[in-house]
Amino acid sequence: MFDAREDALAGARQHANWSPYDNNGGTVLAVAGESYVICAGDTRMSSGYNILTRKFEKIDKMSGKTLMASAGFAADAVTLKKTLKARCKQYEFQNKREIGCVAFAQMLSNTLYYRRFFPYYAFNIVAGLDAEGKGAVFTYDAVGSYERTNYSCQGSGQALIMPVLDNQLKTVSPLVLPAASSATPLSEQEAIDLIKDCFATAAERDIYTGDSVELWIMNAEGVRKEEMALRAD
Amino acid sequence: MFATRSEYDRGVNTFSPEGRLFQVEYAIEAIKLGSTAIAIKTKEGVVLAVEKRATSPLMDSSSLEKIAEIDAHIGCAVSGLTADAWTMVEHGRAECQNHYFTYNEPMPVLSCTSSLCDLAMSFAGEGEKRMSRPFGVALLVGGKDDDGYHLVHTDPSGTAMQYKAKAIGSGSEGAQTALQEEYREDLTLKEAETLALKTLKAVMEEKVNVTNVDVARIAPNYVKYSDPEIQEIIDRL
Repeated sequence: MFDAREDALAGARQHANWSPYDNNGGTVLAVAGESYVICAGDTRMSSGYNILTRKFEKIDKMSGKTLMASAGFAADAVTLKKTLKARCKQYEFQNKREIGCVAFAQMLSNTLYYRRFFPYYAFNIVAGLDAEGKGAVFTYDAVGSYERTNYSCQGSGQALIMPVLDNQLKTVSPLVLPAASSATPLSEQEAIDLIKDCFATAAERDIYTGDSVELWIMNAEGVRKEEMALRAD
Repeated sequence: MFATRSEYDRGVNTFSPEGRLFQVEYAIEAIKLGSTAIAIKTKEGVVLAVEKRATSPLMDSSSLEKIAEIDAHIGCAVSGLTADAWTMVEHGRAECQNHYFTYNEPMPVLSCTSSLCDLAMSFAGEGEKRMSRPFGVALLVGGKDDDGYHLVHTDPSGTAMQYKAKAIGSGSEGAQTALQEEYREDLTLKEAETLALKTLKAVMEEKVNVTNVDVARIAPNYVKYSDPEIQEIIDRL
């Protein structure tokens, strides 16, 4: 018979089966246009074969021109966003202006890297408008390595969605002359339709993506939200 | 009973009954003994000019450094106890690098000056880092950021004030009056260089030459002038 107490007395570790992490699944995605950015995420939160909630928002507004979406371990993502929101407020007091998305992107990277050896188990995308009003997407790994891109997808549906985005949105190499804009050529509405299709597709095969998808659309006028139902099974 | 200052001018943390902090006031006085420094802000940039007073003809004037770069977009001219100034400049440099590291953007000028003023206030309060006395130095900080050009004056009390043109040091009274008369909103950078040196010349005891003045500009980056460049301005006077 297995006895934890006997095991502990024998000097074995008691916590060998316990992990500080969980993966709550979910997919997030962002697309940058010439004058808009769209950040999207499904609203399912799972743990193993259980759905914990069908209405968990993975996207947050961090400052006037910055959105952040996180997949992975929800508890870490929530804590990370709380920390970052506090730092955004401090930035505002110290510098008498709201933090821009480029500055926020660097701050998130540093915040993640400072936890290099006990990371936040969150996979993040930052979407915003830069100083010129152009759409910007920043994509991260869990320890803060990041890159500015024009579209990105993270989370459980990444492997299903990313190839579609590559196929539909990949622009010509910046080395090819004459230089073309690196922003996606799609209009705002075309991008919205593409994103909805991507999520509907991912929800077909990925059990951790579903219930509904929320889209945050940011442009010069401000931010607006759209929602679409997904498979609930 | 409180007839003289002597009872209240020792502790840096004790107000006199009239509500004054004498040590801080004395520190501000110390600046008036320093060499003259002038800064002028224009739409094209900020000009910094200082007098370098050599106490001996055998002294190497290059060791008198009174203009410093804080970051590529921020520079400052100092007057007063120069050693104190370097403590502040080093602090400002560290803050600017820290801001760039954290946010991938240059530090706003006013954020930098307010962090310098926080340091100037560290004679107050308690703890390990507490200084025994206020800094005996004033800074003219010039810089460029998203909001354009800034010229900020900081003093030992930790007050930061923005100016269009400002003079500090021994010749500051005369120089400030001269600046007030001659300053125009539409000064070019070149005119500001001339005005700065002209004003400096008027309040200096010695004749202006390339060894006894230093000039720098922030337009939009910090550049310290070489001897021939300073000579060219002197020739324009």
